[in-house]
Amino acid sequence: MNYPIWQLDAFGGGLLIAIIAIIHVYISHFAVGGGLFLVLTEMKGLREGSAEILAYTKRHTKFFLLLTMVLGGMTGVGIWFTIALISPAATSSLIHIFVFAWAIEWVFFLAEIIALLFYYYTFGRLSPRKHLILGWIYFGCAWASLFFINGIIDFMLTPGEWLNNNNFWSGFFNPTFWPALFFRTFMAVMIAGLFGFLTSVNIKEATLRHKMVRYCGLWLLTPVILLLASALWYKAALPPAQQEMIFTRLPGMQPFLTLFIWLTPLITAGGLAMAVLRPQAIRRPLTWLLLLLGFLYLGSFEFIREKGRKPYIIHDYMYSTSIRTTELGQIQETGVLASARWVKNKTITPENRMAAGRELFNLLCLPCHSDGGPLNDILPLARRFSPAGMRSFLASMGTANPYMPPFAGNEEELGVLADYLTTRLVPGIADSPVHISKEIIVPPPFDRETAGYLLLASTDRGMILSSEPEQSGIDFSFGPPTLRAQVIQRGETPAVLSEDIEVSYRIDNDHGPLLGNMVATDNTFEATLSKIPAVSQDFRPYLLAEIEAVQGGRVIAATRLKIGISTEIGCRNCHGGPWGQQGRTGLSRQTAANILAVHDQRSKTRLGDDLAAGRIVVCRDCHADHSRGAAGQADRLNLSAAMHGFHAAYLYKNSNSCTFCHAGSDHGTTGSPEDLHTRLGLACSDCHGSLADHAISLLKEEQEAKKPGSNKLLTLLADHGTLPVESIKGRVPWTMEPDCLTCHVGFQPPETATAFNSWTADKKGLFAHRFGDEGVLLCASCHGAQHTLYPADNAHSTEAGNLQPLQYQNSPYPIGADRGCAVCHTVAMDEELHHPGSLGTFRNRLE
Amino acid sequence: MNPAHLIPTPDLLPVPWGWFQLLLSTTFLLHLLVMNIMLGWAIIAFCNHAFKDSIPEDNQLISRKLPFTIAFAVNFGVAPLLFLQVLYGHFMYTSSVLMAVFWLSIVGLLILAYYATYIYNLQFSRLSGLHTLISSIIALFLLIITFFFTNNMSLMIHPESWVRYFDQPDGMMLNLGDPTLLPRYLHSVLASVAVGGLALGLYHDWRKRRGSATAAANIPSAMNWFSYATIANFGIGTWYYGTLPAAIRTVTGASGAFLLGFLLLGITAVIMALIYGLQHRVRYAAGAVLGAIICMVTVRELVRRQTLAPWFSTSELEVVPQYSPLIAFLLIFAAGLSLIWWMIRLVLPNDKEVRS
Repeated sequence: MNYPIWQLDAFGGGLLIAIIAIIHVYISHFAVGGGLFLVLTEMKGLREGSAEILAYTKRHTKFFLLLTMVLGGMTGVGIWFTIALISPAATSSLIHIFVFAWAIEWVFFLAEIIALLFYYYTFGRLSPRKHLILGWIYFGCAWASLFFINGIIDFMLTPGEWLNNNNFWSGFFNPTFWPALFFRTFMAVMIAGLFGFLTSVNIKEATLRHKMVRYCGLWLLTPVILLLASALWYKAALPPAQQEMIFTRLPGMQPFLTLFIWLTPLITAGGLAMAVLRPQAIRRPLTWLLLLLGFLYLGSFEFIREKGRKPYIIHDYMYSTSIRTTELGQIQETGVLASARWVKNKTITPENRMAAGRELFNLLCLPCHSDGGPLNDILPLARRFSPAGMRSFLASMGTANPYMPPFAGNEEELGVLADYLTTRLVPGIADSPVHISKEIIVPPPFDRETAGYLLLASTDRGMILSSEPEQSGIDFSFGPPTLRAQVIQRGETPAVLSEDIEVSYRIDNDHGPLLGNMVATDNTFEATLSKIPAVSQDFRPYLLAEIEAVQGGRVIAATRLKIGISTEIGCRNCHGGPWGQQGRTGLSRQTAANILAVHDQRSKTRLGDDLAAGRIVVCRDCHADHSRGAAGQADRLNLSAAMHGFHAAYLYKNSNSCTFCHAGSDHGTTGSPEDLHTRLGLACSDCHGSLADHAISLLKEEQEAKKPGSNKLLTLLADHGTLPVESIKGRVPWTMEPDCLTCHVGFQPPETATAFNSWTADKKGLFAHRFGDEGVLLCASCHGAQHTLYPADNAHSTEAGNLQPLQYQNSPYPIGADRGCAVCHTVAMDEELHHPGSLGTFRNRLE
Repeated sequence: MNPAHLIPTPDLLPVPWGWFQLLLSTTFLLHLLVMNIMLGWAIIAFCNHAFKDSIPEDNQLISRKLPFTIAFAVNFGVAPLLFLQVLYGHFMYTSSVLMAVFWLSIVGLLILAYYATYIYNLQFSRLSGLHTLISSIIALFLLIITFFFTNNMSLMIHPESWVRYFDQPDGMMLNLGDPTLLPRYLHSVLASVAVGGLALGLYHDWRKRRGSATAAANIPSAMNWFSYATIANFGIGTWYYGTLPAAIRTVTGASGAFLLGFLLLGITAVIMALIYGLQHRVRYAAGAVLGAIICMVTVRELVRRQTLAPWFSTSELEVVPQYSPLIAFLLIFAAGLSLIWWMIRLVLPNDKEVRS
């Protein structure tokens, strides 16, 4: 906020630092370990009276001097220059907090240079004792430089008590100071061995060459155990937050951890091979290979340490955006643009939205991301998001995405930045509104005068979510629907028949008809489909089932039922990828692959490999799916809790959080929800709670079952629900759902419009399974399935949602509405048999 | 846009600013001396190769010592850069970002120049016709680096020129519009040639006093470099002074008196140094030059303070005292200097050892 941003584009994202720092760090560790190598090798030469070893030591010193003083020294200055350009605020903090540590390091740097020059230029001119003293002074000063730099570097990762007392010494001797010092010292000794190979392998005389190569091998191999021990000490000294960030939370860290772990035995084996194998044809390339591996070894460690600080540049003190933790709240209130010094657009207007977005991008994204570069490129990330998805992602930074700093701006800036990232920086995947052409569906004929039977059909789910596993490769679909039918023999006292009657269904779709008979159970015929039938390519969010009741070989009644199928799933809003079909619906394989990549990274799974191998990843194999009674694994969150619990942390702020993932957005392919309640102005959250409340209710049940992960997700949501977490009742999905009678007390018009937190006790209480007061007719037989209650208003067809009312009553209202008892009873009735109020005039008329 | 709004908020100091000013001025003086020798020698070596028929003895000497001068110029540059950042970091980080590409290129140029000095040194006898090329690369790179440094020191004290960042945020901004930039740069370069020549003269004088028969013959040419560069620098210096804002040239009060006093003292010392130089009285000239440089470093600091006066004063910096790190530094600094002195004593030829 304080300094201008160097707009590096492709060279951003830490590329400059990575290049300069890793070269410097490698050479500067050599400058420390190599100093010890020089004196001990000279001592070896003196002890053995070997002029050849002394000559080798001098040659190695020349190489050492040219490498460490020139490239090592200058890249050290280079790091300083670079960090001051990339993160001036953090550099300023480090300079001011530790100015005298830097100054002390400079004193040792000066003494180091003088000692090394004297050491090299007095070979053979000073007595051995004096010459060795110079060597020891050099090593002592070089190690002291490491000592002081180490304090500052580790302060950035673990500032420890300094955060509370601002005391120089607390910051310097921070929690990881000692393990890091030992780790780096042992690393320096190993690197001395690696560079020793480089000169010793070129000794002309074979015996001496072999002897010195083996000697260098000792330098490489001896400290390995100590290095590993200090690495473990280092890890143990890390505070929990840094440990978690490095070892579990940070995306992309695993390859570096793996690299570091695997390089240890690899370098050890290389060192042994150097000691054993004599042919120069092997040793020479192996020397270079080992040097490269050493470079990667130290590089991976430094990368882990640097990334482990995220989202800070100085842990718990300054975010990577150079905003101090203490300033964040004020900036979020005031706004980034108003707070930052180096911006042109202090306020946002319709005209400058994108220019302001660019400035927000400069301030908040460029400190870590490159724009099209090889490191931390923001472009592929931005391409994954729709503007709304990006808004959710930005809002989740610092919580669900703990490796990124909290978004520092206000709500308006969040929207502007999201729009800039997803519409200007990259072409974006935002969808334009869909024009839906309505189809006309003619209900089957019904002659009120002559018909003897009525066939009422429904499904247990009004809208069935399908991830179309065969196409997408991932299966988190709801359980297939159960079709239900009730055959009513018309008469003054109608009978609901179930004997001597066969009821069959036929669902036509692109893959051929799906046929079957329904099984009679008491008053109802039922058939649970083996799978969710595929919707047609000529997309409509439903299929039509033709249902017939046959008695004695004669069709006595027939009707048509809409089975709502939702394939418009918004995963791509955040996970990217195209739509699966028709350009506007369906989960594509690419989106599925992106989803699984996140899952693999976060949960240490290999599901992406399964997908790539052509196998369908079935979520319920691990996560219990109560919509179909799949048990999953006992120690995993159930599918509903996992899905909503995880995503709520990102989407809780989103005003359209339900239709962000589920079908039903106003401009989507499926169209607005067709349910009566939607038309009356109710939102999903009125019954199910806000996304955070909804997720909390699911997670609390899992928490009570002590499921791993539930606590963490609940913590993320703790402050984001509309109700206190303690007051939200846990529930089992698909069993404990909002109860209609919470609002419709005694079947009367509602006095409240909030059904959240009052759950059905068991499945019998669910609307889909509930019967009227007479105990015979399913609620859904007269009212339609939940979420598609009559009079429904399906965006694709005026008739589709109301086929049976239209067939039997020529009106879209529930069966028997408006005192239409005659549809079954053939005569008017004056007794409210089915439920109180059933003889009233239907209140909510279509316009 | 008001440039004052662009100036970042400075960080807190652990001890009062005077400590840092003292350390800055002292260490900068050391850096300046070694840097002048480094750059001056690089230019002299190139000119000798380019314009003389035979390779003078001085070039052999320069080839041996030039890598050391870079090592120490950089090392002595680290300390003042550190203390400068403590006092003026909020100005200097900003100017560095504005000219980031040039500023960072210094590192690469320095590495190349440094290795070139080692090639020049270690391969001197084998370079034959390439002496001019190698020495020109060294001189050119060091001249470019000097220009970038001069540019940054100019840009950091001129916040009014910072607003151009909004049209050029890619780190490619230079402060070429500053009328002081070119004379200031040339002033530094000529001073470097003068000090480089003087350093050669001192070396030959030292050898002469230690009995070298050939050393005395080299003194005149070395002192000529010093004298003629100094004469030329009078002209450049006057130009430089003339380009300074009138507000600085006419500043009154204690600041004005100090500025004028040190400037006149410095000019007087330079005139004395020039007289001694023309007489080839090397050590007297060196003494006068040292006095002149101390005065000029002070003037330079006063000009910076005056230029920044509308925006900032170091006395505004907030202090949250912590003296123990300063004490630790001073103790280690003293110990380090003692150690260095002890090492020098250790390696200097000991008469007894030589005889034995």
